[in-house]
Amino acid sequence: MNLLDVRNLSIELLTNNKPILAVDKVSLTIKEGEVRGLVGESGSGKSLLAQAIMGVLDEKWHVDADRFHWRGNDLMRLSAEERKSIISNDVAMIFQEPMACLDPTATIGEQLEEAVDQQQFEGFFWKKRQQRKLEAINLLHKVGIKNHIQCLKSYPHQLTEALCQRVMIAMALAKKPLLLIADEPTAAMESTNQGQIFRLLASLNQLKNMSILLISHDLENVTHWTNTITVMYSGQFVEAGTTDQIFKQPFHPYTRALIDSSPTANIHIPTKSRLMTLPGSIPVLQHLPIGCRLGPRCPRAQRECVNSPKAKNHQGHQVSCHFSLKGSY
Amino acid sequence: MLIFSLRRLNLFLFTIILLTLLSFSLSFLFPGNQLVNISGQVNATDEQLAIIGESYNQGGSLISQYFAYLSHILSGDMGLSMSSQTPIFNEILIHLPATIELTLVALIIAMAFGIPLGFIAAIKHRSKVDDTVLTISMLGYSIPVFWLGLLVILIFSIQLGWFPSSGQISLLFEIEHVTGLLLIDIMLSDDPFKWQAFQNALAHLVLPAVVVALAPATIFIRLARTAMMQVLESHYIKAASAKGLSFRQIIYRHAIRNAMVNVIRDVGLQFANLVTLAMVTEVIFSWPGIGRWLIESIYQRDFTAIQGGLLVLSSYIFIVHILTDFIYAGLNPIARGKKYGS
Ligand SMILES: Nc1ncnc2c1ncn2[C@@H]1O[C@H](COP(=O)(O)OP(=O)(O)OP(=O)(O)O)[C@@H](O)[C@H]1O
Ligand code: SF4
Ligand SMILES: [Mg+2]
Repeated sequence: MNLLDVRNLSIELLTNNKPILAVDKVSLTIKEGEVRGLVGESGSGKSLLAQAIMGVLDEKWHVDADRFHWRGNDLMRLSAEERKSIISNDVAMIFQEPMACLDPTATIGEQLEEAVDQQQFEGFFWKKRQQRKLEAINLLHKVGIKNHIQCLKSYPHQLTEALCQRVMIAMALAKKPLLLIADEPTAAMESTNQGQIFRLLASLNQLKNMSILLISHDLENVTHWTNTITVMYSGQFVEAGTTDQIFKQPFHPYTRALIDSSPTANIHIPTKSRLMTLPGSIPVLQHLPIGCRLGPRCPRAQRECVNSPKAKNHQGHQVSCHFSLKGSY
Repeated sequence: MLIFSLRRLNLFLFTIILLTLLSFSLSFLFPGNQLVNISGQVNATDEQLAIIGESYNQGGSLISQYFAYLSHILSGDMGLSMSSQTPIFNEILIHLPATIELTLVALIIAMAFGIPLGFIAAIKHRSKVDDTVLTISMLGYSIPVFWLGLLVILIFSIQLGWFPSSGQISLLFEIEHVTGLLLIDIMLSDDPFKWQAFQNALAHLVLPAVVVALAPATIFIRLARTAMMQVLESHYIKAASAKGLSFRQIIYRHAIRNAMVNVIRDVGLQFANLVTLAMVTEVIFSWPGIGRWLIESIYQRDFTAIQGGLLVLSSYIFIVHILTDFIYAGLNPIARGKKYGS
């Protein structure tokens, strides 16, 4: 069953002039127990999309969707507050900049205990407090922080970025969420520690059936851990499918370029030859091209590309391109 | 925290040296005999002056003169008032507490009204409430203090007769001078009419304190509003909201403390401004404080009194500044840590 089903979600940045369409009709579905990767270059709106799902964007942004279903319930009919209370009960998010996401004037202990779900405890309030403390320590151990005494009484600025990231993960796990949105959960870590975190997430996924939305700018980094992948570019939907489909037979020129530019996916190419990349860089919000936003950089672009392509479904493999590579396999 | 305290202490000593240097050099800059300026002995004979000159190290270099001056001040001798021939130190002991009382109460009023109003304006950003608060703060800031003082006297003491218009307490009450701070002295005294005296003193305090507090309160409104808006846009507020905390919980548990940190940092700076306003207000309300005394001394060209008064008043401002710095450090763990540099 679909845990989360979002159709054509758009996010506008309200400015003094015309609002800017930062995310343009992106769809995303997550099944129960699934690990979905959300991949795209830096600035393609992944974090915005995640925050819109959590309902934590401030009034500078306007979010709209054709459909927003959570466990079969239509959340579009509810008010923003009701939607947020349902979502924040079942979904947890690991934010991208961990240090900035911790209150600088409160200790890690206070913030972690605050995230722990109260309702699971019984007894009088002092008993609850003790249980909460134990639970916080437990969570720290889970994410691989052994020196919990030191950590609990530290302030965020006294920890390294990587430790803060682990604390954020612990906080997200505190609620025992059905869906975990992990926005670059290992960005500040070294590769050995990255493996540790990914293994933790994978085991939670398998043992607790927790679904995960794994956000990364690096396709290669996540493919090992995901079942399905959604690719975004500059706020537009690019392609979605199983990890195999995306990796072996990408239909979209952008995904093709992403894969061609990653060294391990190209074991067959001779050493020291140039990797294939797209020319140029991702457009800034103020200068978005009309139609398909990849247009200026796309090797296959033609005149029709000034109109936004519609997503087409080929047996669960969706692609949004006028001239997809489907025929070339 | 130790390093932080040492730094503040360092800064304090350095500033005191600068202030005494300034005060010392004033005695040269004022017209007339420097020795008379610094000692206030206007009626002294030549022999007496020679003895005084000896104690101020007149024959020695400027540096040794400065140190002689410093030792005079440290032993509590700031010279005599040129106009009344009473020791300046005693005058200051009499007048400073009244100013401390007035300014601290005004500061508390300004913070107690300004900061919450600013927070509310930020929370209700871009609403009628926000606009109203901003307009009030704009208005309050642009009213000159002497005009406001006269206006409130006219309305609240002359027309309505609610509050007295001058002085610190009615002459009927005799309060023993212990700490100098009148309200505290009243509490300490065992006068049978203690409560009447307290009420009377409070009634005297209300108008001047409010007049002094108005402009700083409007500044606190704006400081608090900016601080709160910044905090509300920060990532950790977003993260707290994703944790499932309600808006109210976010405000009380995270936003207020962080916004307070930023406001407190600027309180010390605003205090100098507040003391200046208090000086003018003391004149209007005949408040027996050091500001009024200093302004009178200026009129009477009492140079010794001006030197001493400025020195004491600026030290007072600076001490309050350092105290707020400590409160800031107490609230803000980052300032306490070793990464803090100033
Ligand atoms: N608060 C903001 N104000 C204005 N523009 C913003 C803001 N936050 C994000 N943006 C813009 O929105 C676009 C998408 O940002 P987003 O953070 O979602 O990208 P991302 O895909 O998460 O990138 P990254 O991999 O760097 O995290 C970017 O162009 C960014 O400049
Ligand atoms: S729609 Fe056109 S520009 Fe966009 S990716 Fe496809 S071919 Fe390229
Ligand atoms: Mg991001």
